[in-house]
Amino acid sequence: MGKYQLGEFEEIVLLTIGVLYEDAYGVSIKLAIEEKLKRNVSVGALQSALKRLSDKGYVSSTEGESTSERGGRPKKYFVLTDTGKRAIEYSRQVRNELYDQIPKVALSLKGEL
Amino acid sequence: MSNHPPKILLRLLAWFCDPDLHSYIEGDLIELYALKVKSKGRGSANWALTKDVLKLFRPGLIKKIKGLKKLNNYGMLNDFKTSIRVLRKEKLQTFINILGLTSGMTIALLILSYVNFELSYEDYNSNSKRVVRITMDYLDGDVVVDQDCETYHQLGPMIKEEIASAEEFTRAFGMMELVIEVNEKKFRERSMYAVDPSFLDLFGYELLHGDPKTALSEPYNIVLTANTARKYFQRTDVVGESIQLTKDVKGKITGVINEVPENTHLKFDLLASYSTMKKYLDKREDPWDSNDTFTYFLLSNEASYPQFKADLSAFSQKLTDQELIEDEKIICEKVADIHLYSNKTYEPEQNGDARVVFFLLGIALLVIVIAIVNYVNLSTAKAMDRAKEVGIRKIVGASVLRLRIRFFLESVLINLVSGSFTILLVSFFNDKLKEVAGISESTDLIFTPFFWSIFALLIVSSTLLSGIVPAVVISGFKPSAVLKGKFSTSKNGVWLRKTLVVFQFAIALFLLIQTLTAVQQIKFMQQKDMGMKSEKVVVIHSPSGRNLAEKFPPFRNSLLSNPNYQSIALSTSVPGMPTAEMGSTTNINLTDSPKEYRNNFFLYAIDSNFVPALEMEIVAGQNFSEEHNLKHILVNEEALKSWGLSNPEEAVGRKTKFWGEERTVLGVIKNFHQIGVKSAHIPMIFVYGNDGGYMSVRLGNGDILNQMESLETTYHEHFPNNPFDFFFLDQELDHLYKTDQQFQWVFSVLSVFAIVITCLGLWGLASFSVAKRAKEIGIRKVLGARVSQIIFMISTDFLVLVGVAAIISLPITFYLVSEWLNQYAFRIDLGMLLFLIPSLLILLVAFFTVFGKSYGISVANPVESLRDE
Repeated sequence: MGKYQLGEFEEIVLLTIGVLYEDAYGVSIKLAIEEKLKRNVSVGALQSALKRLSDKGYVSSTEGESTSERGGRPKKYFVLTDTGKRAIEYSRQVRNELYDQIPKVALSLKGEL
Repeated sequence: MSNHPPKILLRLLAWFCDPDLHSYIEGDLIELYALKVKSKGRGSANWALTKDVLKLFRPGLIKKIKGLKKLNNYGMLNDFKTSIRVLRKEKLQTFINILGLTSGMTIALLILSYVNFELSYEDYNSNSKRVVRITMDYLDGDVVVDQDCETYHQLGPMIKEEIASAEEFTRAFGMMELVIEVNEKKFRERSMYAVDPSFLDLFGYELLHGDPKTALSEPYNIVLTANTARKYFQRTDVVGESIQLTKDVKGKITGVINEVPENTHLKFDLLASYSTMKKYLDKREDPWDSNDTFTYFLLSNEASYPQFKADLSAFSQKLTDQELIEDEKIICEKVADIHLYSNKTYEPEQNGDARVVFFLLGIALLVIVIAIVNYVNLSTAKAMDRAKEVGIRKIVGASVLRLRIRFFLESVLINLVSGSFTILLVSFFNDKLKEVAGISESTDLIFTPFFWSIFALLIVSSTLLSGIVPAVVISGFKPSAVLKGKFSTSKNGVWLRKTLVVFQFAIALFLLIQTLTAVQQIKFMQQKDMGMKSEKVVVIHSPSGRNLAEKFPPFRNSLLSNPNYQSIALSTSVPGMPTAEMGSTTNINLTDSPKEYRNNFFLYAIDSNFVPALEMEIVAGQNFSEEHNLKHILVNEEALKSWGLSNPEEAVGRKTKFWGEERTVLGVIKNFHQIGVKSAHIPMIFVYGNDGGYMSVRLGNGDILNQMESLETTYHEHFPNNPFDFFFLDQELDHLYKTDQQFQWVFSVLSVFAIVITCLGLWGLASFSVAKRAKEIGIRKVLGARVSQIIFMISTDFLVLVGVAAIISLPITFYLVSEWLNQYAFRIDLGMLLFLIPSLLILLVAFFTVFGKSYGISVANPVESLRDE
């Protein structure tokens, strides 16, 4: 994927940000991924993925309100940039093309019986 | 707030987290923590938080280095670059340092490899810690007069019966210089041992071919080493082949073993079963008459050695009580100690000497210390050139640790480069070392695991020792003082350097004096009157076979008809041969002696030509002539001492009690050096014999090559099918000084090294001092000091150091050198000159080392040093 570099976990984070739309910040992203994928996500892994995504320009961030349940700390909201949207589009397209090229026989589950 | 996370975790996060991200991340964590407390409770929330915080410590999320801090965190690459630049700029100093460390490490490694080899004797054998050798002390009352490592052949079975901790034993009955015939070809072998079946097990030999259980069980069973097998048959699977041991004794090869290692005291070419000797041994009337067998025991475990020793002592007492032995004590020694600690008669080979080994070990350490000291000395002396660099670095905020690392890195580089050169040099000198140490080519002396671990240890310790001092000294400069130009090193630093130089000179002086003493002693030994003339004497091994007495006269006659050959003699030994080749006996006394002397005599059979052929001198009485026989003996002067006689004339014509017979002393031979000048003369008795194993031929004037050629032709005419093995007597005798010459060689190298290195250190010290005193000298010159005065002023400073070194070194040196000379029975006297000349020499060398620097500054224009203030 020469044009848009996107790791597997990065892609999941990027898609989740898209899903959450205007409510994507650290905790919500983490919880969403954990719920959807049934896998544990550490804050460290998530934050470094977010940092890489911003460095690549796929997401942009804005500072949000600070609440008391956050100990007075502000939230950092992420939204998809145009490049980010194109990256999602591109990776989906590649996957679909590949999927379509798989012969029907290979996908049949009967072989396992 | 009740569910606020533990502060310490958040503080930890604040410490390492990138400030740009910190507040958001912390917010997330607090929010998550609260959720977790609600769902899973505080404990698991704390745990989850801890994991999260720790996992946040990753590149991209931790603090970045910014601003002023960046100036001092230039990274190792920069350190590395500047270090290389400095080393290249200070070419001479770098060269000196690398030279010093490389030669120091090379010498230390070579010596340590040799020492390790000497200490490794019998290590190849996993049983060696449990194996002991039975030996015997000869007593005169309570005094031990002689020690013998050969004992009675019946001791083995007796001791095994008697002592519980004795598990297994083997005897080794040596047969030297034999001629073996294989498929009509004759081979001369140095040694064969007749051994018990457990020999292979005790000495850790494995059979390549053959059955270990039966290999040595039957008479005339022979086990070859792989080398011998290849020599005889060009292959090793030779079990079942047969060889001719003597004319009518055939041996059957029942096994082939791996090579005899270099580091064992008992080396051999082939083994025979002990039962092969049974016929010969059974002929003896009294088994307590001849002690000519090595006996080894395998103890049940290592710890039983003291018990075994005690039991053996009791056993020896029992034999004495039963009057089986008299004035003898059976003792034992550990087999691993034989090479370095045992020096008894009839040792199977010339053993090493623990003192020499540990002496060398000490020297190796001194050498490496000298080299490191030198490095420290030079780099701290050069430190002021680095002061500005340190000052600037400190002002922009470099920490002391950073600076230390920076200077330490220089030592690391120097040491690594020296280390690589060391490897080159060591492999270059490897062969020379083996030659000097007398170790066979095939033995791995260097590049063994031991070698590499010592090498690593040397590099690490040298890096640490040589790196820490300069790093601490240089990084300790105060920037304000340095940049104002008021820099000077502390008095302590100068003291340290002076002490180090004194120390180096003391060692150098010792090495130089020791070397010169060794040179003198060896010259003395080579020039000493040997009591005979060994030049132009060729010694040929006599042919095998019993009828030598008949075959020899025609050979002699046809040889002497040629004017190229002056004389030829037969004898059972010649000077320079190991004492093991002679017989020895006690209890020979004059019939009318008032006292029974219990001395040991060495026996030697010679014919009537032996004394004139070797140009020995008869001081009283006369030589053997053809009509004499076993009724007569000759003795040497030393033997007279054993009988309490001082005048040789007294002995002539006296009768002796000799093995139950009466034999008359025919004459007295002037003492000659049978075992080299190193050792004292030994008491010898000569009996008449005309079938000895050595033929000594004195060559006339003429071309040696022609003489040797026609000698060989004549030999083969008379003794066809016999190998023509010969040596030149003077060369063989020179071998006796081999260890001394090696010792001298080692010391010459070491003293040159020590002097060069020490002068380098002195030179460094002088350049430092001259640079520091430049202004003072400038002012002195302005005020009218002469060049010679200034040279004198600077030189005396340093020559005093040499003086102090001499005062410290000379007494210690005197003691050590005297100790060294004491090992020689005939030694030079230590004269004043032997100490004075090296001291003056060192002083002179030191003067010239400093002279270059002192002259340079004393002729310099004072303007140069005074113009900028």
